Amino acid sequence: MSSPTGIAAVVLTALATVLIGMYGVRAARTTSDFYVASRTVTPWWNASAIGGEYLSAASFLGVAGLVLAYGTDMLWFPVGYTAGYLMLLVLVAAPLRRSGAYTLPDFAEARLESSAARRMASILVVTIGWLYLLPQFQAAGLTLRTVTGAPQWAGPVVVAVVVLVSVLGGGMRSITFVQAFQYWLKLTALLVPALFLLLVWVGDGRPELATPGSPVFEEPTSVEVTIDVTVDVPSQISVVADGEPLVLEPGPHEVSAGTVLDFPAGAPIPHASSLTPMTGESWALPLTAGGDHPLYATYSLIIALFFGTMGLPHVLVRFYTNPDGRAARRTTLAVLGLLGVFYVLPGLYGALGRLYTPELLLTGRTDAVVLVLPARLVDGVAGEALSMLVTAGAFAAFLSTSSGLTVSVAGVLSQDLLHGRVRNPVTGFRLGAFLALLVPIGLALTSPFLGIADVVGLAFAVAASSFCPLLLLGIWWRRLTWPGAVAGLLAGGGASTAAVVVTILGGPQSGWVGALLAQPAAWTMPLAFVVMIAVSLGTQQHLAPGVNRTMVRLHTPENLDLNRGDWDPEDRWRT
Amino acid sequence: MASLETPPPERAIPTAEEYERMQASPEFAELRKRFRNFAFPMTAAFLAWYLLSTYAVDFMSQRVAGNINVGLLFGLGQFASTFLITWLYIRHADRNLDPIATQIRDELEGAR
Repeated sequence: MSSPTGIAAVVLTALATVLIGMYGVRAARTTSDFYVASRTVTPWWNASAIGGEYLSAASFLGVAGLVLAYGTDMLWFPVGYTAGYLMLLVLVAAPLRRSGAYTLPDFAEARLESSAARRMASILVVTIGWLYLLPQFQAAGLTLRTVTGAPQWAGPVVVAVVVLVSVLGGGMRSITFVQAFQYWLKLTALLVPALFLLLVWVGDGRPELATPGSPVFEEPTSVEVTIDVTVDVPSQISVVADGEPLVLEPGPHEVSAGTVLDFPAGAPIPHASSLTPMTGESWALPLTAGGDHPLYATYSLIIALFFGTMGLPHVLVRFYTNPDGRAARRTTLAVLGLLGVFYVLPGLYGALGRLYTPELLLTGRTDAVVLVLPARLVDGVAGEALSMLVTAGAFAAFLSTSSGLTVSVAGVLSQDLLHGRVRNPVTGFRLGAFLALLVPIGLALTSPFLGIADVVGLAFAVAASSFCPLLLLGIWWRRLTWPGAVAGLLAGGGASTAAVVVTILGGPQSGWVGALLAQPAAWTMPLAFVVMIAVSLGTQQHLAPGVNRTMVRLHTPENLDLNRGDWDPEDRWRT
Repeated sequence: MASLETPPPERAIPTAEEYERMQASPEFAELRKRFRNFAFPMTAAFLAWYLLSTYAVDFMSQRVAGNINVGLLFGLGQFASTFLITWLYIRHADRNLDPIATQIRDELEGAR
């Protein structure tokens, strides 16, 4: 795609986001309270907004990239993202709404009556938020680079500036409208090009997506390497490198940015060393993906995704923008429908990418498959327009998820860390928003590029190992105490975070250690449960004094007029 | 959640003691029991369904047509099953949970 089209797509998405945000602010200002305003939002709009917020870079780009490289096993990502919502609905959503807590730290404080538990929860919200923001920014860098050739830092900076403008301008008030728009943009941006891609594939006589053997270039292929990459050459290949004939011997080779490699038809595809090569046979079959212990890795991933959703800071607050529990349930059903429709598409892109853009296996930029496929298969103006559409959809994904996360993290930062140091709450929130973006941008620019969906999976693992036990035990087990909760959060959240840090900084390890570190949820989540229960049983003298009252509140109808005290979690956003 | 308009005056705001009594009441126990009896087995069942469908590799690997194998069809089926379970839960909540919850509310607020 040419640079002007790509830039136009990014600018249009950013403009639409800011403009709809401003319109949302105007609409919301006619009522005195944001939450009254949001209750006039119908379940259908609300569901669109939830979908818009939830479908991040991982869903829009990452899943397709993983499917391209590793095949059917990766379909667990979309299934898990969807099923996680079901877990949230059945086990947590209604009691949490009734608790009156808007954020996870609020819940920890209300249920355990402890500021230590609150602080621990705050730290974890910030950790998970940053971990989730990191891949959004890296994806923005990848996208802007792919479509315009801009340097890697440009994407994160553009996203951060737009998010900062819309969050500081409108705060929570405008976000429902923006995110509902962004869901439909994302769906259109994947669906319309997908129809064209399918037409081309059918027109080609429906070639097999993956031939059984190792991947080869079916036709003479010219690959331009845009970022330095180390590739593993499986067997001797004669290529043309920058116009000079060259024989690549088996083994690792470093290819520097700017190199153009011309492969003859039938040449095996050297894979970037960050990818595990797969034959077409194993690509199409489950439980054959890279790594030493695929069954463990798959189970652990499923656990992380199913139980992590309930602990994502930006997801929970959405359940408040419904008039009552009944509407909240209707909303969830609509959300699952919207997510299900969307998630059929990334797998399609990944599968077609295996056939039509196999050179991504060489450059290692498999996450770019959604961006490059349309222009590859559709020529001329139509291809340009489709590329523009997917670029716009990708930016909608970065912007919507980043806005939601930034608001959540900024709220926690301003209330729990800056509180007392900054007198004005609005200034505190703005400062919080700035900090919420600064750290993940720094990380995105300095840390190595990992698969987008992989890093998001790690954020889910931390959430599943910390907030899932806190919520489930807090809601269903009377005897949970604050020392137990803090110890469990520390053990599960700490262990999973440590595993994540080792994986990100140290790269993939081999054997059982590698499997346990790369997919920690299967052991860190039980660890958190065990520690929470054991320490609680040993510290029964610290049972919250109002636990009976809290339990009734959590489990009785929410249209009951409850004495929620004079503490109002919305204070922080009020001007 | 409570409506933000001023509540009608006859609605009493329950005291702490009434909460304590409610916590011990059979209605409250029944509400929690009904919820648990549905939610916990359902959660266990659908987790088992997901985990087992990963485990049965040989079965999942059977080809249906071209690159389409049983596992792929199950993957699509999982979206459908997630939707179905959610619908079942919502029906359960509307039919079995909401009436008793309303009853508790009426008792608690009519207490004075």
